[in-house]
Amino acid sequence: MVLARAARVPVRIERMVALTGGASSETWSVDAQRGRERWPLIVQRAAAEPEPGTLARAAQAGVQALAGRHGVPVAGVVAVFGERDGLGDGFVMDRLEGEALAPRWLKDEGFAGARAALTGQCAAVLARLHAVPVAEAEGLRGGSTNAQLLAMFENYRRFRVDLPVFDLAFAWIAERCGDAPADAIVHGDFRSGNLLVGRQGLVAVLDWELAHLGSGAEDLGWLCVNAWRFGVWQKPVGGFGEREDLYRAYADAGGAAIDRARAHMWEVWGTLRWGLACLQLGHDHVSGRVRSVERAAIGRRVSEVEADLLHLIRFGSV
Amino acid sequence: MAEQIEMQALVEAVADFVRGLQLEGQAAFHARVAAGALGIVARELAQAPRAAEAAALAGFLGREAPLDTMRAELCGRLRMRQLTPETPGLVEALTAATLARLRVDNPRYPTLERLGAA
Repeated sequence: MVLARAARVPVRIERMVALTGGASSETWSVDAQRGRERWPLIVQRAAAEPEPGTLARAAQAGVQALAGRHGVPVAGVVAVFGERDGLGDGFVMDRLEGEALAPRWLKDEGFAGARAALTGQCAAVLARLHAVPVAEAEGLRGGSTNAQLLAMFENYRRFRVDLPVFDLAFAWIAERCGDAPADAIVHGDFRSGNLLVGRQGLVAVLDWELAHLGSGAEDLGWLCVNAWRFGVWQKPVGGFGEREDLYRAYADAGGAAIDRARAHMWEVWGTLRWGLACLQLGHDHVSGRVRSVERAAIGRRVSEVEADLLHLIRFGSV
Repeated sequence: MAEQIEMQALVEAVADFVRGLQLEGQAAFHARVAAGALGIVARELAQAPRAAEAAALAGFLGREAPLDTMRAELCGRLRMRQLTPETPGLVEALTAATLARLRVDNPRYPTLERLGAA
């Protein structure tokens, strides 16, 4: 019914395959038929308990579509579930061709050309996103850097653990971050694992559920966090590129000039944020919110984050 | 009496068993994660990282105390700005403590060698 409304022609569903399912969300791959055409789709639906700090699926669809209207490559939003659909919070989007498994496109020889193009493409896409007027973003939360740092610290304290390296990183960031206003729409999770990549490079930017208002440089720092390099640590930009190339391409595409000390601060910030996600995922298991060996094991990745934080703080990069 | 199988041997046996399971898809992925987690347990039994971490923190604080007490004290003093990233000896002590844990959690993590050699 949702699809028929979007398509305005008879729609038949041929096949539905669950890609992921869990306590917080479901993703389905759907093969539909629209009139006589094949219609490959993805359905995302929130389950009862959303992950903390994430957007409702409907809001996620909204910001994804907004970015798309401003020239960011995204999967087109086909339909958003309404209250009368009785399907909960979710939306339907086009299923695009490409490789979403970062370890595959980071290491496979067939993607060498894609990797060479990707730094420039990511920079241009981020410059475009960060130029979208903030007034067009409905319902996105955000805050100045100081407010965001405070929120992140409160999130850390929720877990009631004492990790001296995390407190060291909070102190280090607080000395440097200042209180810059939230003046851009930030994807919030722009990393290798959320890029759909084809032989020519970037096909689409996925997973907009952490979008918020903040500083554009935050997205660039997050892309350089070591965890997204999947072992290719010598390539700081997502495991495929160099920082200077990213900054230059970002400015060439109309983005703000990147202050190197500030970019470094955002890398420390991003690394610490990943560390808090490790705490959250480990806590999900321990608290019983989502019992899973995967989440329990990710809780032990905190020491990787601590090592990266110390290397960043002592030697200026990792 | 038969030879007593030590904890570590037992954990390694289970890890080998899990690694050998013929599974597909999500289950295969979770089995790999589970075998990795058992590897952490085996290394923790062998290496006693808490003792090494406690020694590193006690060296900085200048006195012995239970590990959790020392961690809490360092965090509290960092939050109060009584310690800062510039405090002499602090990042070195935290580095030694972190390396001890990372050798257990993920001995192949690239930053381990780079930070250890520094």
